[in-house]
Amino acid sequence: MSSHDATVTIYALIALVGLVLEAMSRTGRTEMPRLGTVLTRIMHTRSGRIGVMAGWMWLGLHYFAR
Amino acid sequence: MIDCNNGVVNTGAGRPDETGDETTRRSTLPNVDPVIVVLTLAGIFDGLAGNPVHAFLLIGIALLLVSGADLHVRPTTRMNGHHPLAALAVAVVFAVVVGGFERYSWPATVAVIVPGVAGLLMAFRAARTPGPEPLVVGRHGAVAWASLFVVLGLWELTNLLLQPDLATASYAHPTLSTLLDPILAMHTGRSVLLFVWLALGWHLVKR
Repeated sequence: MSSHDATVTIYALIALVGLVLEAMSRTGRTEMPRLGTVLTRIMHTRSGRIGVMAGWMWLGLHYFAR
Repeated sequence: MIDCNNGVVNTGAGRPDETGDETTRRSTLPNVDPVIVVLTLAGIFDGLAGNPVHAFLLIGIALLLVSGADLHVRPTTRMNGHHPLAALAVAVVFAVVVGGFERYSWPATVAVIVPGVAGLLMAFRAARTPGPEPLVVGRHGAVAWASLFVVLGLWELTNLLLQPDLATASYAHPTLSTLLDPILAMHTGRSVLLFVWLALGWHLVKR
């Protein structure tokens, strides 16, 4: 396996873990919160809300803007 | 103790009824909002990486949080989904038109900054009137999600540092940006990802 393939595989594994966590949260049989619930909790505070929106804006800038 | 509501808080000693250990800890550690620290560090490193616009915006937002500024945005249409079809149409048109702009061009930059700043202003406005207490997130769940994003960030950073230099992409050690480059090189790809970005912003604003 090349370095490229290994790198992409690890990204895919991280995404897979995220999907598993989200799936676990939706079964209702664990205490795992949904990602949306975590975001809502973070965004309940002033700086959390503004920080999350700043992160979102940064994503747009990073991929599309100067 | 970190108070995420008010940015930087004074570092005064604890109340008389608190334990000695707690009082000592409070009197010696600065009480700094982690969001401000993250935004400031991100702004500094983005600036060092040659992205002055990003740095200006990130540090500017951090300074606004430090100052406790309350941006009085004139209440307009509430982002509660009353006009979903109109919003969808605007998002599609935006994505198609802006997706036609060259990446990293000034038109694309302005086009992204406008909804970005609008989302931020809505965040400032919404922060003035917090909604009902959200569901409690258990410690294990919070640690699990936080760990996932920390690992993602560290893996991204590892690949960034394995590049020949910060501005030169590596096929052997691609960052997420490098992996997305072929998609973002196409008008269609840019439009789809712009739409996803807008939808994510809309989703966040409504929370």
